[in-house]
Amino acid sequence: MLRRIIPSLLLRSGRLVKGVSYANHRDAGNPSTTARAHNAQGADELLLLDIDASREGRPPDFAAFAAVARACFMPLTVGGGIRTLETAHRCFDSGADKLCLTSTALDDPRLIGNLARVFGAQAIMLGLDVLTTEAGRFLYDHRTCHPIPALAWGEWLQRGVAEGAGEVRLMAVDREGRRTGFDTDLFAEASALVDVPVILEGGAGSLDQIATALEAGADAVALGTMLVFSDNNLHKVKSFLKNAGLEIRL
Amino acid sequence: MSVAIIDYGAGNIESVRNALFAAGTNATVARDPDAVLAADRLVLPGVGAAGPAAMRLARSGLGEAMAEAVRLKGRPLLGICLGMELLAEQLLEFGRTPGLGWLSGEVVHLRDAGVQRARVPHIGWNAVEPMGVAAHFFQGPERMRTFYFCHSYTLVRHALGAVAAHTTYEAPLVAAVLDGTVFATQFHPEKSQINGQRLIRAFLSWAP
Repeated sequence: MLRRIIPSLLLRSGRLVKGVSYANHRDAGNPSTTARAHNAQGADELLLLDIDASREGRPPDFAAFAAVARACFMPLTVGGGIRTLETAHRCFDSGADKLCLTSTALDDPRLIGNLARVFGAQAIMLGLDVLTTEAGRFLYDHRTCHPIPALAWGEWLQRGVAEGAGEVRLMAVDREGRRTGFDTDLFAEASALVDVPVILEGGAGSLDQIATALEAGADAVALGTMLVFSDNNLHKVKSFLKNAGLEIRL
Repeated sequence: MSVAIIDYGAGNIESVRNALFAAGTNATVARDPDAVLAADRLVLPGVGAAGPAAMRLARSGLGEAMAEAVRLKGRPLLGICLGMELLAEQLLEFGRTPGLGWLSGEVVHLRDAGVQRARVPHIGWNAVEPMGVAAHFFQGPERMRTFYFCHSYTLVRHALGAVAAHTTYEAPLVAAVLDGTVFATQFHPEKSQINGQRLIRAFLSWAP
């Protein structure tokens, strides 16, 4: 089994954006040309999230999903505002292969099972935003930009998987866009709580940091800022990791 | 040559159509038995839960049309993921569902097929070891034989002769089957970039 290196793309008003800790977003390019580049450079998968859909209470940008999907000959996971079975169907019709549920699952945990029973657990990814502060680790609501102290993150993780999620996107919100390295402890804690695959995201800033995360046991990592606001590209990243002796597809 | 993707409401149809297009074929989408029977080659994709999918295939008459086109008229069929699993006799997912019964064997959860420690679903890129009979589908160097898997269930208690390729995920798993004019993969060639494109082209040029 090979490790997965997954570009993570955030969508806003038809463009890609990238910020720091889910704020201060900057333009990060055209979705479909970016996807085409990632496809050509051997991305193992692609993650595409419409970051405004849930907060604005609307379905995601299907047209942008479709444009990206046409450039993707690797799996495409889409997320943002997926609240109903109909929206889920429209995501697949737009060319998605998997769905990522974050805040819509928090609002309605049974949505996870309802979609998993139709599309299978392997197509339903639970998005988990975790904020780490001096007081501990908290679930984070990107719509309000506040932690959710009433629900323990580990408890929600286990609940989401029990409801039927077959995969987890684990975002360390406090590290997002800061290039300080992955939170491998968070990955280890989450991995011990569930037996589905976990994708770690948040904090990648250098090639060495990615290698460190993989060496610490992360099977799959997502990269945002590093592939947007730096001179790195996926081929360079994967070549470096392969040369470091890690199981990487080139 | 016309190629139809069978749409029974449980598939990443667009992904499959996109990959076929890249391989040089403008595939149609078959939603009724006549459209299935009109095609020279068929693709049965599948992302979803087995029970409802098998039921929809049966109720819509698509399963019967597939049987006529493939089993009687000998037209080639490419099954993908759930599209492979549905060919088995029995599917054990949320209870027991009869499959199309073209392949002997049952589809069971990976935890009941020897995958104890590894994470389930089996999601990601894995190496495939083809058998000699499937050489046509796995031409090219060994490094081209990694494909994208995304599944929780697997075919067991199958006829050994039908296996076209294995993969290893803690336990050995069936990665592809070959039986008559049916070639089916547990992995997703439509999502396996250039390696998948080669396999799709091999299917399109296959003369069983």
